[in-house]
Amino acid sequence: MSATNGSDPRSPIVVADHLSKWYGQVIGLNDVSVSVPPGITGLLGPNGAGKSTFMKVITGQLKPSKGTITVLGETIWNNPSLYFRIGFCPEQDSFYERMTGLEWVTALVRLNGLSDADAAEMARRALEAVELTDAANKKIGAYSKGMRQRVKMAQALAHEPHLLILDEPLSGMDPIARRKTIRMVKDWARAGKSIIVSSHILHEIESMTSNILLINQGRILAEGNVHQIRDLIDEHPHTVYIRADQTRALARAFLAQDDVLSLRFEDEAIVVQTGRPDAFYSRLTDLAASGELGAIHEVTSPDDNLQAVFKYLVKS
Amino acid sequence: MPIHDQGYRRYGGDKAPRGQAWLVIARNGIRHMLGKRAFLGLLLLSWFPFFVRAVQIYAAANIPQAQFLAPTPETFRQFLDQQQIFVFFVTVYVGAGLIANDRRANALQIYLSKPLTRSEYVFGKLAILMMFLVIVTWVPAIVLLIVQMAFAGNFTFLRNNIFLFPAITLFAFVQVALVATAMLALSSLSNSSRYVGILYSAVIFFTQAIYGVLFAVTRSTSFSWISFPANLSQVGDVIFRLPPKYETPWLVSLLVIAGVIAASGLVLERRVRGVEIVA
Repeated sequence: MSATNGSDPRSPIVVADHLSKWYGQVIGLNDVSVSVPPGITGLLGPNGAGKSTFMKVITGQLKPSKGTITVLGETIWNNPSLYFRIGFCPEQDSFYERMTGLEWVTALVRLNGLSDADAAEMARRALEAVELTDAANKKIGAYSKGMRQRVKMAQALAHEPHLLILDEPLSGMDPIARRKTIRMVKDWARAGKSIIVSSHILHEIESMTSNILLINQGRILAEGNVHQIRDLIDEHPHTVYIRADQTRALARAFLAQDDVLSLRFEDEAIVVQTGRPDAFYSRLTDLAASGELGAIHEVTSPDDNLQAVFKYLVKS
Repeated sequence: MPIHDQGYRRYGGDKAPRGQAWLVIARNGIRHMLGKRAFLGLLLLSWFPFFVRAVQIYAAANIPQAQFLAPTPETFRQFLDQQQIFVFFVTVYVGAGLIANDRRANALQIYLSKPLTRSEYVFGKLAILMMFLVIVTWVPAIVLLIVQMAFAGNFTFLRNNIFLFPAITLFAFVQVALVATAMLALSSLSNSSRYVGILYSAVIFFTQAIYGVLFAVTRSTSFSWISFPANLSQVGDVIFRLPPKYETPWLVSLLVIAGVIAASGLVLERRVRGVEIVA
């Protein structure tokens, strides 16, 4: 692991001390004190838990209402020079659809103070890293959901930051793009970057790291090894929404499996409840890769099961 | 077989000094506008009055019978007045989408996660609009002054009216600053550039219409401070040492202009954020 914060490679990359953030009367983060170590850290929580707020505080876009936060050893608020060492991939799409991927990433890299030629070169390398070289000169408007996610990641890593912050990077991706992205994130970590990745799906986080922060209602509920809460999660059925060409054929294949507890059809999608998400996702990826049952366009998961676990944790 | 490093290498090249990120925003915006043929046509058209005035000055300098066309300080004031129509169109064309388009594309949160401050972002956007407005106001007026000297073959006119250069510069600066900040503030209020364009037009024409109604009722021009264009005209007359058209004290007009610029700054401060805060 390369140094992330000065001389000591084991120094925490983010340190929050009694950090709170209010939006008027609404609390986004509530007295959060946490140290994020180098490497990959998963930020896990249901929608509205405070994950995005925490990430926006880390990226210096929101000023803490109370408490302090340091990133890579420096205060982040009002410190744009530190932004050069951080790459942020937001959850929402942030594109000019008429620009090509290469133009968009190059323009953003230029904001780091690089020349046109250097910025274009770095943008090309970043697009290559996210396997978008072939689509680099296509308009973003023509990109699929997975390609859009990857071009967002390209702009985050193009300027070679020490710390990557990825807000729900797998959201809406098809199984193959998901697998590629997970592999990429792991590769970046092996190359010495620290990564904070958020999700409301344990399975996604678990496939990237075992180090997690559990967040709910603006509070850090737990931190540490994912396996400690793994059993709790498995007690609650996991819901998966799959948009595909041949939903009926997929349903037939799923029903033959023991771990599928129920399923229902929704427009061009099926919603499956499974007791063993690991096995289910693995089979789903294989199915998508084989193409036997047509194309699978999108896989998402509501956070019902996670919410149940959080309720349990809060009560205990 | 040699194994090449597939990982990332740290960037070892030069970086622009801090505080210059606004230049990237400005350059991108200017390049984008210059790529539009319709806009280039508008810019070209905005120089048409300049050519008419240049012919007038040439005729006055070279044809004895055309002496009545000889330029006076008022000629330059009138020229800048004529340019207001182009200032309006350029402002709407360039300015309406400056922030609105970034808001629609959700681009602010990405921009502001880069080494770019909010003030650099606003300054970069202002620079785009101000540059084009300067091209349709200050530049042709100053070139006209140079043309006068060139056709006359002497500096007499400039020596006798030495205040013209600072007057043109000051008036163009006040006009450009007012129009650009107001438009940018309006652009930050919406995600639709079309709506911003309509809103800006409404502000210009509505304030002028209210003043018109008040004038019709009171037969007094002391309410001219209500009108956006009238305030600019009042201050312009004072700058060009001409008798003011309205009864409103020029200082009041100047205060209104300063107030609009300050209010626009406040709007921009609240609206230009990477994260929309709804509280």
